[in-house]
Amino acid sequence: MTSLSAEPSAPGGPVPGAGPVLLSLDGVVAGYGGGDVLKGVTFDVAEGGITCIVGPNGAGKSTLLAAVSGLLCPRLGTITFRGEELGGKSPKAILQRGIVQVPQNHSLFREMSVRENVEMGAFLVRDRKVVAERLERIASLFPIVSERAGDKAGSLSGGQQRLVEFARCLMLDPALVVLDEPSMGLDPKTLHSMFETVRLMHADGRTILLVEQNARAGLRLATHGVVLENGRVRLTGSGREVLEHPEIGALYLGGAVAPVATGS
Amino acid sequence: MGSSIIQAVIDGVLTGGVYALMAAGLTLIFGVMDIINIAQGIFVILGAYLSYALSVHAGIDPFLGLFITIPALFLIGIGVEWGFIRRLKEGDRTAMSILVTYAVSIIIEGVLNVSFSVNYVQIHAWYVNRSVHLFGFYLPYIYLFGFAMAAVLLIAIYALLYRTRFGASVRASLQDRTAARLVGIDVRRVSTICFGLGVAVTAAGGMVFGATNAFNASTSYDLISRLLAIVILGGLGSMGGALGAAVFMLVLEDVVAVVWSPVWATAVFFAALVVVLSVRPAGLFGRQVARAQ
Repeated sequence: MTSLSAEPSAPGGPVPGAGPVLLSLDGVVAGYGGGDVLKGVTFDVAEGGITCIVGPNGAGKSTLLAAVSGLLCPRLGTITFRGEELGGKSPKAILQRGIVQVPQNHSLFREMSVRENVEMGAFLVRDRKVVAERLERIASLFPIVSERAGDKAGSLSGGQQRLVEFARCLMLDPALVVLDEPSMGLDPKTLHSMFETVRLMHADGRTILLVEQNARAGLRLATHGVVLENGRVRLTGSGREVLEHPEIGALYLGGAVAPVATGS
Repeated sequence: MGSSIIQAVIDGVLTGGVYALMAAGLTLIFGVMDIINIAQGIFVILGAYLSYALSVHAGIDPFLGLFITIPALFLIGIGVEWGFIRRLKEGDRTAMSILVTYAVSIIIEGVLNVSFSVNYVQIHAWYVNRSVHLFGFYLPYIYLFGFAMAAVLLIAIYALLYRTRFGASVRASLQDRTAARLVGIDVRRVSTICFGLGVAVTAAGGMVFGATNAFNASTSYDLISRLLAIVILGGLGSMGGALGAAVFMLVLEDVVAVVWSPVWATAVFFAALVVVLSVRPAGLFGRQVARAQ
């Protein structure tokens, strides 16, 4: 495994808001049925950053996120969040600690209204006043929440559903937002606004961990990059370093790229 | 002829309400868990026998007895879910559930045959054989009371599903299990309670069924085929569909019995299912797309 740097310090790519380690994976082995998809994954997610995991199909990206959110229990290794071990905890217990995941496939409750869907994001919050306050704040960040409040979620377009999913995941006021291939199934124009929204959530103070098939776009957005290959970490570094790494560029990004301006 | 058709429609609506209640339990279980509960028929008969036993041995009115039999069936449902359903693996749950619940059905049938013998029995109460004469039609009290009770319980289920936090977690689990887990819903617990509720309603349905029909344990086969036809016609997993389909099927059956022949009534019940499915493969209110994930 090549490790470029633990601290994000790529030239020309200052990393905003990178802080101490929020989530740490150490030697995580996990999989479905008999086989191991993750074969000893180790990396850290810095607080206040956007960490993007890239890698070919079957590298274990979605499995990794399932292990973080508690949908899958690791066989070996540890996942720690703010110093607390998460392995074996239920999705509910992990949510309560401030980690929310937006899954790859559209996951809105199609028969419920947009408003109900967003409220479901705060299912674990029993104080109705808190829920109402958060709903109001999130509706100001995501106008679609109030504009289409009464419409059934299933009637929204793919891009709109993604936005509502983002809005829903913020209802728990999470510290870490985990996004599994948010660009999946979106057209190029919607893709751009989706990535802008990820930036917006980041600017709102969330640490983001995302898996992205659209590796180039994901890494440009990210402060940190992790390359996963065959269930192991191949490379870590700042988003820019991974993006510009000649070998990685050739292997996963369709050829090495010229330097790009941040945020383009 | 005209008035006897109207009488048949009224009878169909009144009995359809009770079938709707039993079918609602079946479709709730399928909707939330992807479990096809073949034992629903025998649970109805179990409910009928419990009401019968309470009435004969303890002199408890069948309607009052529901305060005992509904919680009893709820607990039995939870026990069956815990003992058999929970152990099914995610991948082939639906197919395996048919076998497992069929086995549960055979076990309960055996226990009932030993306990009550195979002789037909019927629940008796003052309102079972009396009718009220209204607008020229005879309305049996048991049909009216049964329909009213079914309506009250269906409204209660509706209120539970749409007005409570638990209901929101049921509807979320019904629409997308993974997403439900990711917002913090304990889908396993929701499933267990839903199975209990789905079975509990058979106590009420069974009581009315047992008061309007002579039954023994084998009657459950006829019942489960009707209930499955109703929930498939209504669209698997759709509560409103089950209600509409139950009333439609029972009215159709009763009307055919009057205008044609009782011999054909049951056949038409299933013929209607085949015809509707050939036009609408997902049933009248099917939502296969919504459940694709």
